[in-house]
Amino acid sequence: MGKLRILSKLGDTTVQWDTTRGAEEAVREAERIFRQEIAAGSTAFRVSAAAPGERIVSFDPHAEQIVIVPRVAGG
Amino acid sequence: MGELLPILAQMLFGLLVVAGLSWSLAHPSHRHNVQPHQAHSEWLAAKARAEHLLMEMLSTEDYQHLARRGYIEVRSPNVPERCYRVPKYRGRIHVYEAGRPVMSLCVQPVHHIPDADVVLIHKLMIEGNEQEYLRIANRFDVTPFRQYL
Repeated sequence: MGKLRILSKLGDTTVQWDTTRGAEEAVREAERIFRQEIAAGSTAFRVSAAAPGERIVSFDPHAEQIVIVPRVAGG
Repeated sequence: MGELLPILAQMLFGLLVVAGLSWSLAHPSHRHNVQPHQAHSEWLAAKARAEHLLMEMLSTEDYQHLARRGYIEVRSPNVPERCYRVPKYRGRIHVYEAGRPVMSLCVQPVHHIPDADVVLIHKLMIEGNEQEYLRIANRFDVTPFRQYL
């Protein structure tokens, strides 16, 4: 089960998809959201329990978890 | 007329205090740092979700350290002996090398999001995109005082 978490003023919004066969539509929907967020200036990180976050620029349907963070700026 | 001036000034001051209190009560978001048009209960739920996510993403040691000391330490993936102290609440990130403060950074999300999510953003960006993080951040020298900490 993959998980996409989008950080926003609402906390995080979660989108999940199954990596088994027959769940292509859920994967496509997660990818659509991913692309939409990246196009808006957000940054995505592949996260797993075993390793530090890794920046990704394209959707990975096999990722355990992807966290999308909003754009940041120097304060 | 001279006797009236202090009375008028007091009345004006009183009116300003009442107006300020009324505005504050009518706009609870001002007191709790809630975004305009975002309900207070929605903001509290967002904060709770963010806290839960942070707890999930940090190791037990890091989460306890954050609660106890008010910051987490994120190691640089590129520079040996460099670590970033990310505060629990909004503020500058202090950068240490070999245990000594070398600079502080100011970088924040362009949208207002819960503090726990901000901590997570710093951690992810430092670990996964350090060069870009440093490029975006405004840098500040450490003050002479901090050098002795």
